[in-house]
This record gives sequence, C-alpha cells and structure tokens, in this order.
Amino acid sequence: VRILVERHAPEDLAALDEAWRTAETFALVPEKAGVSEEWLRAALASLPSDLRQHHFALLTSGSTGRPKLVVGARARAEALAGTLHDVQQSEEVGETILALPLSYCYAFVNQWLWGRLFARTLVQTRGVARLDMLRAALRDARSAMFCLVGSQAPLLLGYFGEEVFDGVVRLHFAGGAFPQNDLDRLQRMFPAASIFNNYGCAEAMPRLTVRPAFDGRDPRDVGPPVPGVALRTSGGGAVEFRSDYAAVAFFDGEFHRVGADDWLESGDLGSIDERGRLHLEGRAHEVFKRYGEKIALPALLESIHCGWSGDAAFYRERDANGEEAHVLVLAPRAADAAVRAILAVFRSSHPRPHWPLRIESAEALPLLANGKVDVGRLRHLPERTVHWRQRF
Amino acid sequence: MANRDELKALLQEVFLLTPEEFRFDMTRDDVETWDSLGVVSLAVGVHETFGYHMTPEEASSLRSFGDVVAILESKGIRFDEPS
Repeated sequence: VRILVERHAPEDLAALDEAWRTAETFALVPEKAGVSEEWLRAALASLPSDLRQHHFALLTSGSTGRPKLVVGARARAEALAGTLHDVQQSEEVGETILALPLSYCYAFVNQWLWGRLFARTLVQTRGVARLDMLRAALRDARSAMFCLVGSQAPLLLGYFGEEVFDGVVRLHFAGGAFPQNDLDRLQRMFPAASIFNNYGCAEAMPRLTVRPAFDGRDPRDVGPPVPGVALRTSGGGAVEFRSDYAAVAFFDGEFHRVGADDWLESGDLGSIDERGRLHLEGRAHEVFKRYGEKIALPALLESIHCGWSGDAAFYRERDANGEEAHVLVLAPRAADAAVRAILAVFRSSHPRPHWPLRIESAEALPLLANGKVDVGRLRHLPERTVHWRQRF
Repeated sequence: MANRDELKALLQEVFLLTPEEFRFDMTRDDVETWDSLGVVSLAVGVHETFGYHMTPEEASSLRSFGDVVAILESKGIRFDEPS
C-alpha cells in the first residue's frame, strides 16, 4: 500500500491522478500527519488482501485527539461524487477552488474526485495560509465552486472585507459549526453563489446531508440525507448512518471491517424531525454527564461568546473526584476583566457542574489543517495562563 | 498577603463573588452559588491556603463565611491582623 504525502504543490495532483488510475490501494496523508510513521505502517499492514487494491485511505479524527485511518472503496467514492453533482446542482460549475487540504475527505471527494470525474479544473491554493494566493484565485474565478470549513468564514470576511467575488457560483461549508451568523455578509461577498451547509464525517467518505443555506435559519438543521444514505439516532441521541458510499474499514489501533448492515456513528448527537431532516446537538464527545447534569459544550461556548469575542474551545479531563469535566481555553490571552465577564455568565446562567474546571488562555488555539481545533494539542499547550480554577 | 485577604480572595473565587458585593458577614442565603460542590471546593481551598483539612462534619455545618473564620480561628489561624 502506497503512502502519498500531501505537499500542497501541483505535483500532488499528478501523483493522485496516477494513484487513482493504478489498482494498488494508497493512503493520502498530510505532511504533519499527527501520527507516527510506525502507527501508519501498522495501520496499512493491517489491511487484508481484498483491500489492497482499488481502495484509498485517509486520516481523520484529529479533532477528537484519536487518530483513525479510514479506508474507502474507489467505486463508492465515485458514486458519491456523482450523487453530489446532482444534489449540489453542479452542472454549471466549471472549476473548483481548493482552500483545504486534499487529504481532508471533504475536499478529496467534493473537489478533487468530482473534478476528475466531471473534467472540471481544480485551482490549487494554500487556503487561509496564503490569503494573497486565495484572493487571486477568487478574483479570477469563473463559475467556480469554493469549499470551506466554518472556521474559515470569519478569516475570509476579516481579510477580504467588502470585496466581491462574483465568479463563485457555489459556496460549500462542512466541518465544524456552519457560519449562520455570517451568512448575509458571505452572500454579499459571493453574490452569485448558492451557499450550502454540508454535513458528514470521514467514515461516511464523507457526505451524509446537504442543504441550501437559506432553506432555514437554524444552523443545527443540516437537512435531509443525500440519496443512498439512511440516518437514525440511537436512544442516547447518537447519529448513526448506513451509506452506499461509506468507509469499508478503519484502523484506530486495531483493524475494523465495516459490514454491509452495520450502522456507523457519525460522532455527533442529534435528532431527526418528521420531515427526515437531521438536527445536530453537538459532537458526541462534547456532550456528557457531570454530577448528574447534562453538559453540552457547544451550548456553553455560545454562552461564553456573549462575553468574549476571541476564540474559545474546551478539552476534557476528570476532576479530583473522577467525574468527567471540561477545561476552557481562550485565545488570544485574556485580560482579567474578560475572565471575570465570562465567570459572571457562568454564575448567572449555569449551575456549578457546567462551570469549567479551569479557565486558561493562550496566544492562539492550535488548529488542524482542516481548520478545526486540535484537541490533542490543546491540552498540552506549553505557554498557557491559568486564570481561574475550581478546587476539586 | 494577610490571612483575611487570602480568605476573602478564596471565597470570591469559589463562589464567583465580585469585590463590590463581598462581605464577611454573608450567609449562605446571601450567596446564590452556595451549593454542595461549592462547599467541597471551599474545603479544598482552605486546605491549600491555610493547611487545615476541614472534617466533612465541619464542611457540611457551614452556614456563613463567619463560620469558616470561626473554624480556622479555633485552629489557631488569626484573622484579626491588619491587612
């Protein structure tokens, strides 16, 4: 099994194209994969012989701090790219602007593979790491599809200001919270674009639902499943799916094959309404019980942003009594007054089990290549300030 | 820092009280954030700050900040020094 390392260079595309044409299974990994070479070798060595041809593998789950190598069948991925072409009404799209790593399943299927199948141009950029390059690509865009994660929206709006890019006809968001509050400004920046809220996960390879952004105002409503996908929620609210396009196997320290009748967890909690639309409550690892209280970290983040305009994220740890708990990290470094304002929000709106174990701050939150917070690194930030702590 | 100031800072931190609203004569009825976990947090804080480990009976009998002062004074920790 070959390993392709993404270097954000034109050579990536040639290597990928050649790998897709060759029967041998390959793994596409970022330069900073976040796993040891030994782990990756063990993952690939675990693949049985029937998965060593006509498949591909991508890394995921950095946002939970637990790496996973997900194996997909190429025929399934091509089928999904075809389905997305119809669901996302992509016929009028002539090119797609890449601002995410190709090793991110969303960009890989929605952009690279789709472009390959439908003979559309892939315009490589370095995303928000090289905003000058991205701006040039957006200015030159002609009937372009642009795919982002939610955390990139404020950066784009902050950097490009009132600039208008009318060559973009599709704007897709996936990964993390949908930027509902920025929607009107995004539409002004991309006046010709139909905006979509996409939901999925790497195990789905990657799409589960798609909905036009203005088809509702609730960012938690991610719409109905795409054709070929079935959704349900377990008793605890965990979102589960079966999909014609899903991963066929994964390695998370051990090899697991996905059976045709298996329901896979997306990693989120949610509910399905009477129209079959999925409503998300948050990541499964972000909702837990603490001293009998249900703690929903996304809801706590919303509270915090009433008194804090910077970035904020939680990581989990146990308190001295062995109870699950959460630590709040702010960025950039917080002034005492800002911390007091946040504590006032906790005091007025949340019972004590909802309060974090500590409030810390750092210069910046560590991010993964896909723009999500790197929870694994968040808990080990070397230069952080502890502003406040509970004593147990 | 004087003992009185250290205890004041601890109580403010544990119960999320502002300097403006804090008083040493507050009772648990005055403090909306006074709950069982808060008392646990206070007991740990007293141990970390003053080196005295409150018994579960002492912790559960607390009705006011004055009770905390009284328990600590009974262990020889003084709060009458000038701050």
